[in-house]
Amino acid sequence: MPKVNTFKVKVQTGPQGMSEPVHFNFNSHKMEFENVTGSAESGKNFEGNFAVNSFAHSLTLVGPQSGKWGIEKITVEYDCENEKPYTVQFGGVNLDETTEVNIWQDPPVLAFDV
Amino acid sequence: MNFIKRIFTGMKQDAEPDVPMDSSVTEDIESSPVTEEASQPEATPSFPDVRRVLQIPVISEGIFPENSDEVLIKAQPSPAGDQCLFTVNRSLMTGNSWFFTDFESAAGSTLAEKLFCLEDVETLLVCECTVTITRKDKTLVDWVPLAKEVGTAIREAIQEGGGLISEKIIADLPTEEEIREGIQKVIDVEVNPGVAGHGGNVTLMAVRGNSVTIQMGGGCQGCSAADLTLKQGIHTSFRTAVPRVGAIFDETDHTAGLNPFFS
Repeated sequence: MPKVNTFKVKVQTGPQGMSEPVHFNFNSHKMEFENVTGSAESGKNFEGNFAVNSFAHSLTLVGPQSGKWGIEKITVEYDCENEKPYTVQFGGVNLDETTEVNIWQDPPVLAFDV
Repeated sequence: MNFIKRIFTGMKQDAEPDVPMDSSVTEDIESSPVTEEASQPEATPSFPDVRRVLQIPVISEGIFPENSDEVLIKAQPSPAGDQCLFTVNRSLMTGNSWFFTDFESAAGSTLAEKLFCLEDVETLLVCECTVTITRKDKTLVDWVPLAKEVGTAIREAIQEGGGLISEKIIADLPTEEEIREGIQKVIDVEVNPGVAGHGGNVTLMAVRGNSVTIQMGGGCQGCSAADLTLKQGIHTSFRTAVPRVGAIFDETDHTAGLNPFFS
């Protein structure tokens, strides 16, 4: 579990959008993104980041308080201490008031050609 | 009402003196009707939502260029350094997997024979297009020298064109039903009674060919010793009771659940 300096999230919303602010949970602390552009409305792209400067145990994207949010794709760019920046893409998911989705992935393990 | 508000917010109001709690106050609170203010959601923001955490697949891009005639191999040591996964750009054993415990078990399997000729190879697991190797010398963490030898051996075995896995092994592969029955019995009789002492449990999630997928729950989920339990306890029990079981996958999300170690 590395120390996360910052992470940036890009969310591509499908036909089922939502108009609430986008929240994330970092180690079970619910927060809003910084430097937000776009929105989570139908067919729109949302971008936001956060300077965490803390060790990651869990990181999730939180569903809306009411209604549903149909996500087509999530891209997360992680900048962790002592690691090269890396990017992870997740597939589609539907969120609502009872759900959140994991967006934490450990840095890729070193792989080499033999 | 102020008392109620203080319970919810956990804050002390300096402007008002503390009033000792007595039975009359209690009665007053209990008998007073719940007002609009008390039922407002503003009183409970300090309690986090309990939501179900969904896991979604990571979209991974291919690690090899498509349609390459060359044998391409990638080595990926485990974070603990005790084993290394080798991924090849072609199938080594389709639909099933096989765990080779020693040189004798490799008889007739070209791939395993060549790999066991390498001094430091302890065990190997062949599954689809991968080979997972554990090494004898647990003190070494640098896999590069051995991985290069392994890569050469895998490439030679493929290029020789013989049977990578012996015909006897292929002919004796058990049915999924045999694997399911055997593994479920071990879980019920041996594994779960053992981990129950720690509030844990193990569930057989899927059987594909002779490979099984399990999930650890209860106290095992997120436990710092889960990896040890899996490799030294569960793997050993499974392989002793069902010798022809192949790969054992653990799909537990150790960061989720109601009783995780990392919470």
